Amino acid sequence: MTLQQIFVFAALGLLAGRAYGRISRPWLLFAASVLAVFWLQPAALVRGFDFWLPAASLGLAALVWALTLPPDARPSREDKLAAAALAAGALLLAATRYLGTPILTASRPPQVELVAALAAVLALLAWLAARSLRGRAAALGAATLAVLAILVALKAEPLARGLNAALRSLSGQDPALATALDLNWLGFSYIAFRLVHALRDRAAGRLAHYSLRDFVTYIVFFPALTAGPIERVERFVPQLHASFLLGAAELQAAGRRLVTGLFMKFVLADALAYFALNPALAAETTSTLWMWLLLIAYAWRIFFDFAGYTHIAIGLGLLFGVRLPENFARPYSQPNLTAFWNSWHITLAQWFRAYFFNPLTRFLRTHNWPVWAVVLVGQVSTMALIGLWHGITWNFLIWGLWHGVGLFVHSQFAAARKGRPAPAAWQHAFSVFATFIYVALGWVWFVLPQPAQALQVLRVLLGLS
Amino acid sequence: MTDKNDIVAKLNTYITQEILKRPDKTLTADEPLISGGLIDSFSLVDLALFAEQTWGARIDDTELNAQTFDTLNQLADLIASRTN
Repeated sequence: MTLQQIFVFAALGLLAGRAYGRISRPWLLFAASVLAVFWLQPAALVRGFDFWLPAASLGLAALVWALTLPPDARPSREDKLAAAALAAGALLLAATRYLGTPILTASRPPQVELVAALAAVLALLAWLAARSLRGRAAALGAATLAVLAILVALKAEPLARGLNAALRSLSGQDPALATALDLNWLGFSYIAFRLVHALRDRAAGRLAHYSLRDFVTYIVFFPALTAGPIERVERFVPQLHASFLLGAAELQAAGRRLVTGLFMKFVLADALAYFALNPALAAETTSTLWMWLLLIAYAWRIFFDFAGYTHIAIGLGLLFGVRLPENFARPYSQPNLTAFWNSWHITLAQWFRAYFFNPLTRFLRTHNWPVWAVVLVGQVSTMALIGLWHGITWNFLIWGLWHGVGLFVHSQFAAARKGRPAPAAWQHAFSVFATFIYVALGWVWFVLPQPAQALQVLRVLLGLS
Repeated sequence: MTDKNDIVAKLNTYITQEILKRPDKTLTADEPLISGGLIDSFSLVDLALFAEQTWGARIDDTELNAQTFDTLNQLADLIASRTN
């Protein structure tokens, strides 16, 4: 989100706060979130895709909603109204192509007839899903795989380049000019995880019945669209229906989070960006001391950027009566790597625990694997996947493995120390320092796309070059 | 009906002996187990398996977090609501 976009959302929150007696908050958040998906989507280099990508986010949300309806649920009048509003919104947006300059989308939207035809196909698919496929284990499994397959196709460079070349051909552009970054599908990494959460919980019989309006709002809620946090649907939807008045206390709480977030992201992180480690600075730096300064600047920059963004998302949520979950809890003050991962990008780690680590650990434990092997396989594979979620490249994989191995070593150390007295203050301080250094060294892999350059930087940091 | 006090006592013994390896320690019913860092993510799965084997109460993988239960009291309530 840009500063301008944040201010527009905050102004909307203030205006809406005065009108909740007359307008419905769930409908307002639905309408604002649906429009924001299009507005926040940056320009895509494949023609028409800054319209099609947000439309696909909404279409996927509607399809998954239909597929996860409880067996006895029938679409209500409100569901039909929400479906009609989605279709009408897409058609009206497409109609803005005749206005000359795009209003909400980054470039001219595609033809209205094409949008109408695809909306009709989608409605038919959703109807079929709700009628014949809903709740079926095979359909839920296939949908989960499809969502994950899209995620992989966007994150793996050769696949993304091939996909973009194919889409360019379809839209009459030169496929030879395709790059992996043509399709910047805003928020899909987070949307995908919310969709998988709903699909898996339905498969486990744990998903409650939500209206189409509330489910779509949950999937694309505008404060959390760009970079999370990843809320759970059973915590999110009830907040839409709780009574809410934007009083002095709510304003103060939201304002504090927004000001903190804006300061962290647009002042601290942006200032640190000038001398934070990056491939160009890494190539020019040969002094161990300077390299450490670049690395520490990067460690704080990425923290202020991401934690600042989360403060802004939470602050905007509070303005609209929705308390999003925390994503950071003083991660650089933690005495070990396990505690670090309980306080850094908390909602992502929780998602991976719920849908990957716990089922895997349960499977291995019930198949009588030795404890150390379960912990090793569980920690390393979970962290490797968290690394690959950032992008399917060697450097993110190594970064994930760095943390996976670190977590395993810490768990073995902690197991050996069980029953011993709590560490002294100086031991605690040393642990915090050592954990920070380990995490900072991990950032070398994260920030430098070429592992060879990362190795060279590590040599300089250790004074070996 | 399984007695809640009995569940708390059995959980207490299991956690202090098998997870914390401190049989001399007694947990209070309101001590934060997960957010307090006493139980790690691996041991949580073991705890869920123990509850399943002992009382037949299934705790889902998505429920193994501090939001669902963080204390012996809350875990015992969850287990009691899923037995019988």
